[in-house]
Amino acid sequence: MIPALILLYVVTLFYLSITERFRNFASIVSIQGWLLFAIALLRLHTINPAELAFIAIETLLFKALLVPAILFAVIRHTKINRVRTSGSSQFGALLFSLTMLAISASVTCYISDSTVDLVFFGVALYALLSGLMLIVFRSRLFFHLVGFLIIENGVFLFSMAIGVEMPLVINIAILLDVLMSVLMLGIFFTRIDNKIHADDADSLTHVKD
Amino acid sequence: MISYFILSIVIAIATFLSRNERQFFATGVAFYAVQIVFALQIIFGGLYETSSATVFTFDAAGTLFYVLLTVVSAYAYFHSEAYMIGSNARQTGIYSGLLMLLTTAITGVYFANNIAVTWILLETTTLCSAGIIYHRRTTQTLEAAWKYLFVCSTGIAVAYLGILLLCAATKCESLSYEAVAAAVATANPLYLKTAFLLILCGYSCKAELFPLYTVGVDANFAAPSPASALISTGLVNAGFLAIFRIYKLLSGSEVFHWICNVLLLTGILSLVIGALFLRRTNNYKRFLSYSTVENMGIAIIGLGIGGIGVWAAIFHVACHTLIKSSLFLQMAVVRQIYDGYRINRIGDYIRINPIGAAGLIAGMVVLMAFPPSPLFVSELMILKQTILVNNWWIVAAMLLLICIVIYSFCSRMIRLCYQPNQDELHPSKSDRTLSWSALSLLIVAMILGMWRPEILVEFIAQIASL
Repeated sequence: MIPALILLYVVTLFYLSITERFRNFASIVSIQGWLLFAIALLRLHTINPAELAFIAIETLLFKALLVPAILFAVIRHTKINRVRTSGSSQFGALLFSLTMLAISASVTCYISDSTVDLVFFGVALYALLSGLMLIVFRSRLFFHLVGFLIIENGVFLFSMAIGVEMPLVINIAILLDVLMSVLMLGIFFTRIDNKIHADDADSLTHVKD
Repeated sequence: MISYFILSIVIAIATFLSRNERQFFATGVAFYAVQIVFALQIIFGGLYETSSATVFTFDAAGTLFYVLLTVVSAYAYFHSEAYMIGSNARQTGIYSGLLMLLTTAITGVYFANNIAVTWILLETTTLCSAGIIYHRRTTQTLEAAWKYLFVCSTGIAVAYLGILLLCAATKCESLSYEAVAAAVATANPLYLKTAFLLILCGYSCKAELFPLYTVGVDANFAAPSPASALISTGLVNAGFLAIFRIYKLLSGSEVFHWICNVLLLTGILSLVIGALFLRRTNNYKRFLSYSTVENMGIAIIGLGIGGIGVWAAIFHVACHTLIKSSLFLQMAVVRQIYDGYRINRIGDYIRINPIGAAGLIAGMVVLMAFPPSPLFVSELMILKQTILVNNWWIVAAMLLLICIVIYSFCSRMIRLCYQPNQDELHPSKSDRTLSWSALSLLIVAMILGMWRPEILVEFIAQIASL
């Protein structure tokens, strides 16, 4: 069951590279949240029930519900639904995403040993590269926000690879990161819209040498 | 430690709610009284080398940097009081409260004995710093705060991936530095290398090192000058200490030599960035921030070179804390006079504020590591160790880049003091006691350059022992 869910997770990362509407990005983040919730339940069923409950609730509440809700609220607030300020074509982005996947698979094979679950590591690495790709190649701030969330989800996925022994403190760390950073990012995004009247990263070039 | 956190947070909340200068002063006095009592408890009250709440240990490194943090933070807070006169009371309350919370979070980073706790508290410093950076509510500060929050959060997430990998490689259930250090000898070297790279990359945004140094520079530029004094020293030290603790725990592994090489490369690249941008920037606060990048680069080279270089690196960072905070506090006075920091326009400072100008020129000399600067001692030790291990390309690169730094400092700071002023002066008169106050930090640093108490030498030796 877990491999199927991870495969679905990889599909969401693929889709991320070709989609262009803000709502689709928010939906992808939501789907990833639900997938992470399911993987957490299946993967960590042997740990202490209290810890499992905490992880599951946190994943469901924040990653599957609250964070996507914030993203949709940002979309509503800024009234920007259309995208199309990417520097590359959809085909190019897909090709780039496939290259990232190939790199992740190669690195995973290269470091393969029994210490870490390689599937989790490989997908987490792919998520990290996909998030970075979104941040680097798209100029709108909304994508940067989504890119950051994709990286966060990738890191969370990897934390589940070693989650059987994962201390509660790791989960608190993720909780703090998601809660505070995303809320702050959401607030700043709306403030930026109010103050600068643009959501384009190109307009954020006043602070430089 | 928990009582310390509770007390500090309660006072910070009281500061958030304060609405006049007398209240800000009272809460400030209460907050720093708590810090002083806590520091005394650690040094003389028997807390030293004990643990608290299982995830904090009052060790030598934490204690040394905490004492420095308390001094710099108190200066920053009370200078801010003068700097903020006439500002919106609500905004000042938020700013002052955040300054206290930032100090508290940094303290937690210093004393954390657990990798995850260090990480959590470093993330907390991001939130506090972002609020401070946004204090003026302008487009520029918003942009700087956004960039800071975004890049730091991404960097910290990358560091977390490294921590997870380290945890997986060592198969440690506990993430305490001690437990991980005990397990690294048998860990997969490739995992350790990858983990270290990710952690170094992530924490570089806090330590103002290559590659994520830019956010620190932007943060110092946008934040009020007294807060920059804290961000550019106390917070940078937190990032440095987080990297140093990882460096120390990996010293028992077979990849340690490789890690030292990575640190050397990072240090040289930071030094290159610092030296080149010191020439390029047209803003005195950014200028001082690039100087931080350059100095942290030198400190990291010290770690990379090993031997007495490690002692020198710790000493360098400790003394840099006093010097850089003094210069940022002097810059707060510069802003009171000129209402800006533009290098090519403001000047004649020696006539307008002789004490402030003397402080800046003395700071420049000390930062350039000319005797009686303590940085002269540390840089000389690092160079000596580099020559001892026959790493001549590092020696050549360091000397060349330090020459560029010296040239930049001379041309820029002398310009501020002696070039004709082209900007209108701010109508309000500057408070020269602030210049004297900032100068006192520099004098302490200069004393350390000439005479180092035995206790300090031993303290640093204890920290540097691998």
